[in-house]
Parts: sequence; C-alpha cells; structure tokens
Amino acid sequence: MRTRSREDRILLLIFVALLSWLVPGAGYFWLKERKRAVIVFTTIAVTFWLGIYIGSIGVIDPILAKPWYAAQIINSPAVALLGHAAAGNFPVYGRPNEVGQIYTSVSGLLNLLCIVNTVHLAHVRVARQSRG
Amino acid sequence: MCGWPGRAEVKMFTEVVFLVASLTAPEEVGTTLQSMLWLLPLAAAIAAVYKATKLPKITAGRFLKETAALFGSIILFVAATALVLHVAAWLISG
Repeated sequence: MRTRSREDRILLLIFVALLSWLVPGAGYFWLKERKRAVIVFTTIAVTFWLGIYIGSIGVIDPILAKPWYAAQIINSPAVALLGHAAAGNFPVYGRPNEVGQIYTSVSGLLNLLCIVNTVHLAHVRVARQSRG
Repeated sequence: MCGWPGRAEVKMFTEVVFLVASLTAPEEVGTTLQSMLWLLPLAAAIAAVYKATKLPKITAGRFLKETAALFGSIILFVAATALVLHVAAWLISG
C-alpha cells in the first residue's frame, strides 16, 4: 500500500513537471494557482516571442547553436517544431542573433525555474495531505 | 456558403501573413548605446517570474512592489558591473 502511494506521488510530480513544460504556467493552473499561472505564462510567452521578433526564428538552431537550443527547448516541446522548420533556412548573424538567443534562452531557463517550483509546490501539498 | 472571401477576411489574412513574415527576418540592432536598452524588458521578465515563484500569496500591490524592487536592484547591479569593467578596461588600455 505504502509503495503504491509513493509511486502515485512520483507519477503526480512527473505529470505536473510535464504539464509545466508543455505550456508554461499550466502546472500552476492545475494546482489552482491561477494568478501565478497567468503571470508566468504571459511573461515567458512575451519574452520568448520578443526574442523571436528581434532575431527571427533563425535564432532557434538545433544544429549550429546546440547549447542555446538546449535552453530554448525548455520553453515548450513546441520549440522543436520551430527548430525543425528554421534549421538553416533563416540565417541570422551579429547583435540581433545574440539578443534573440539571450531572450529565448532566458525565457526557457525561467520556465525551468517554474517547473522546479511547481514540482516543489505539488510535493509539499501531497506531503501535507498524507500527514492529514 | 463557401463564396469568395470578403474584404475584411482578405485584410485580416494579409495582416497575419505580414505578422508571420516579420518573424522570419531579424530586426536591426546596432552596436550602439541605445541597444543596451534591450536589457530592460529582459530584467523585467526575470524579476516578474522570480517574484511569481517566491511570493507565498500573490496580491497585485505586493507583487508589483516586489517586482519593481528586484528590477531596480538588477539594473543597479548591471550598471555597477559595467562601470567597474569600463574603469578596468580604461586602466589596462591606458
């Protein structure tokens, strides 16, 4: 019984993490933290799309800019579609490339912070419930 | 039912095409002092998300106050670092 409840808990935390990755802020929304969800979704989406606007979708380059891409894909798995579409087709150089990459990567890292925080929040709530 | 699109539909479609097209070409960002202003929206985003994760309960007043304080401290720290690096570069290069 104890093993099963522990497995359920781990599955719940994985579900919350995946939800937060799929759509920034969705994990908070699921945990009924609506205000946090709105702030996180709006801020991350605006930062990411501002980066794309500045540097074009060429800043998402899974071939020549792998470290940046690793941070960008934390925004959402949907970034992989953009990366697949953009790969090598929209070359961008210089300052717009730098600024665009920094914006899109920082928004990804901010989403990583939110994913970790959502998992922590879910863990604390489950622990409180199990204690009674 | 499926007739020719109206003037409004064509206008909207054109606007969407222009919007998507604007994402396929980079904006012009020069190596000027003004380009440093691109730091501001990023610092604001970092402050907002960080405070959204840290505050135990979110109320508009407290959130805005805390976010503004963090935004200000980020900008001050960046400005101080830039000043120190500028002075170091000036001392080294003469």
